[in-house]
Amino acid sequence: MTDPHSFPPPSPYLSSSAETSAAPAAASAGPARRATLRAAGAGALFLGLGLTGCRSAVAEAERPAAAAGGTARGGTLRVAVNADFTPALLFAQSAQSYQHRLLYNTLTRYDDRLRPQPELATAWSYAKDGRSIRLTLRQGVTYHDGRPFTADDVIFAVRNLQNPVRAAQLRATAAAVTGFEKHGDHALTLRLAHPVANLFDLFEFMIIADRETVEDAVTGRKLNGTGPFTLSRWSPGTGLSLTRYDRYWKPGRPYLDAVELRVVGQADALVSALRTGQSHLSFNVPGKSLALVENAPGLTVTDYATGAGAYYLGVNTTVRPLDDRTVRQALARAVDRDRLLRQSLGGHGLASATPWPTSSPAYSEADRTHYTRDPGRARALLKSAGLGGLDLPLLHLSTPGDTSIAESIQYDLRQAGVRVTLEPTDPATAQKRLIAQSMPALWTMSHGFAQVHPATLAVSAYPFNEAKNTSHFRSPEYTRIVREAWTSTDDGTAAARARYARISRILLDEAFIIDLAVRGQVQVASTRVRGVTLNKFSYLNLDDARLV
Amino acid sequence: MTASAGTPVDTSASTPGPAAASAPAPRPAAGRRRSPYRAALSTPRGAAGLALTCLVVLAGVLAPLLTGHDPTGQSGQGLLAPGAPGHPLGTDDLGRDLLSRVLYGIRADLGVIAVAVPLGAALGCLCALLAAVHPAADTAVQRAFDLVLAFPGLILALAVTAVLGPGRLPVILVVALAEIPVFGRQLRAGILVQRGREYVTAARVGGTSPARLLTRHVLPNAADPLVVQFAVSLTVAVFLEGAMSFLGVGVRPPEPTLGNVLGQAMPYLDRSPHLAAGPLTAVTLLVLGLSLLADALNRETRR
Repeated sequence: MTDPHSFPPPSPYLSSSAETSAAPAAASAGPARRATLRAAGAGALFLGLGLTGCRSAVAEAERPAAAAGGTARGGTLRVAVNADFTPALLFAQSAQSYQHRLLYNTLTRYDDRLRPQPELATAWSYAKDGRSIRLTLRQGVTYHDGRPFTADDVIFAVRNLQNPVRAAQLRATAAAVTGFEKHGDHALTLRLAHPVANLFDLFEFMIIADRETVEDAVTGRKLNGTGPFTLSRWSPGTGLSLTRYDRYWKPGRPYLDAVELRVVGQADALVSALRTGQSHLSFNVPGKSLALVENAPGLTVTDYATGAGAYYLGVNTTVRPLDDRTVRQALARAVDRDRLLRQSLGGHGLASATPWPTSSPAYSEADRTHYTRDPGRARALLKSAGLGGLDLPLLHLSTPGDTSIAESIQYDLRQAGVRVTLEPTDPATAQKRLIAQSMPALWTMSHGFAQVHPATLAVSAYPFNEAKNTSHFRSPEYTRIVREAWTSTDDGTAAARARYARISRILLDEAFIIDLAVRGQVQVASTRVRGVTLNKFSYLNLDDARLV
Repeated sequence: MTASAGTPVDTSASTPGPAAASAPAPRPAAGRRRSPYRAALSTPRGAAGLALTCLVVLAGVLAPLLTGHDPTGQSGQGLLAPGAPGHPLGTDDLGRDLLSRVLYGIRADLGVIAVAVPLGAALGCLCALLAAVHPAADTAVQRAFDLVLAFPGLILALAVTAVLGPGRLPVILVVALAEIPVFGRQLRAGILVQRGREYVTAARVGGTSPARLLTRHVLPNAADPLVVQFAVSLTVAVFLEGAMSFLGVGVRPPEPTLGNVLGQAMPYLDRSPHLAAGPLTAVTLLVLGLSLLADALNRETRR
């Protein structure tokens, strides 16, 4: 029995462990031998279990590949996320919105050029004065509990977002809907207080939840939607398990049998999960770790150039001397955006002085490069404002990636004569201070909402809100131009472009938010995964996804 | 903190009773034999510990002479490999010289532990002396120690930084707080043992005041375990500082400490393992040196 080779399966590890534990056994007699036997037995059992586990994992990995010839159906897609689903924020944009489009549908979805495409709404037409829109809804759509989807669900969805309790960032847009007129079960007219330019942002954002179980939805007990997957289990802190909804309105879809969203908080563990094939897909690999997965066999990295997030340096304009825009412009000229992008963001994204991604109608190359690093000029600007040197606090998130960004900014500003003291802060506190407008002189975080209609950024994002922003910046002209952009529905015209250019000009000149780099979602996926898309609010769409 | 509980000193000291046979003789006899501390340092174990500790301490103290780079000076040359011109250990992700970051990191660590551990030791001893005055004070102090010991070191660290925010002072405070009960308990055990000795009774009969009895007679004889504990606590402090900086609640960036240099190396462990090698080596040498010292001192003082 002491011969390790008599245990199936033979293994060099087992024999070496048995040999090493045999040495003390020789020195002291009986009980040690028993201990050795026990250890060897336990080792064999562990090894056996381990090999069985490996074998089943390998078999699972090989199974769909073997069936790959035609359209691969079935399989479970495992998505690694870095934060758990927060049901209380179901109707607000939160850090983790990937499950929204799996469980629910939206009325429309944007294509790459921000043109709305049908989802639950199949057709729409604006009234001539832009004060109402008539929607035709898809027929034959059912919720996961079997109840048919009707116009009342759309009315409920809009009213739900108007409710301040839901804390939806697009509440201003939802609140512009003042009346509803039903035309049967599958058509309705929304009456608007004024023409609303970003109405389709709302339709992209607003999930159509079941009105009868909404209170259960915000506590995570029951998520009843019309989406391609149904919720089978939510284990707080661990993740979500979703299974295919057989009566989904898109015929033959989805291809996948199930989707699992697994919470992997640690960046290193997340990268390992992808590299070992434990997870097939993730959007949460931090910039610093992207180089690890870029060259890994079996993984592909895809940039979503939609700019779901942009890194910026925020300036509190009530702190002297930052109330002087010359000083703010000096800060904007002091930072080296290209180095920041390369060293702290893994090279993925676009160094930019404006918040707009290339897909935005407000994007302009000249504006993007308006501020480039020029410490000499920054010093001159500070001098012209009567300042020799400055000492300012800078709040940043205490995560390694954000600390690296803050350190980079700190060093650049020091070159221009601005000494900065870093204030590492946990993400929840930072978010609270952002919303409460109680930021110190400087802070650095990232913002969303530049990827959709340009007006949405200025009416919905906390840092840019024309009426109430974290920088405490007020300007009648900014308010006027933002309101004008929000209430005009002349997208694509020269007048609209002129307005966006004006907004960009104000953002650049006033420099109350100094944009550094625009970065979309970076998707890291196994080469087996096909057909994954993401909407503008980072809702994962797996209608056409397959594992080959 | 917890490491001290396992040292032989602790167990021997915390079993007060009729162990008088092996008790160190009172002061006059101690003067005649060679100082146990000097004897400890002359053993191979003690000498190796001293050499390692001195090596790391000197590297930290002489950091400005050993490297010409600013530890916070960034450049476009990120992630250079070791041996790059001008950067013997290479550079980190933001193009900062790694050698200077490790050396200045040692300096920052030493700065923290050199203040925090003596502070914790002094406060802990003070508490133990106060507790020896009256049984009620003893109960109060012991329960307060229980309260602090109920928090594992890192939880205590997170609680303190949640109130004070990150920085050097909270780290010092956390290390000191964690050490107070350790030294307090150690000294209390010593006092309990010594108080039963005949020389104490003699002094009391001779009319020595309680305060003088405690500070001039009992304390010097109960001090040996504290010296050992001091060396052990230094190693614990290195770990605690490292853990706090690693988690981003330690000394504020960009100032390097061994913990945050190591923390920043984590995303690059696969591609550039040399980033983590420097701080790891420094921590290992420092902790090994201090542990050997503590062990040598422990052996000699218990002889």
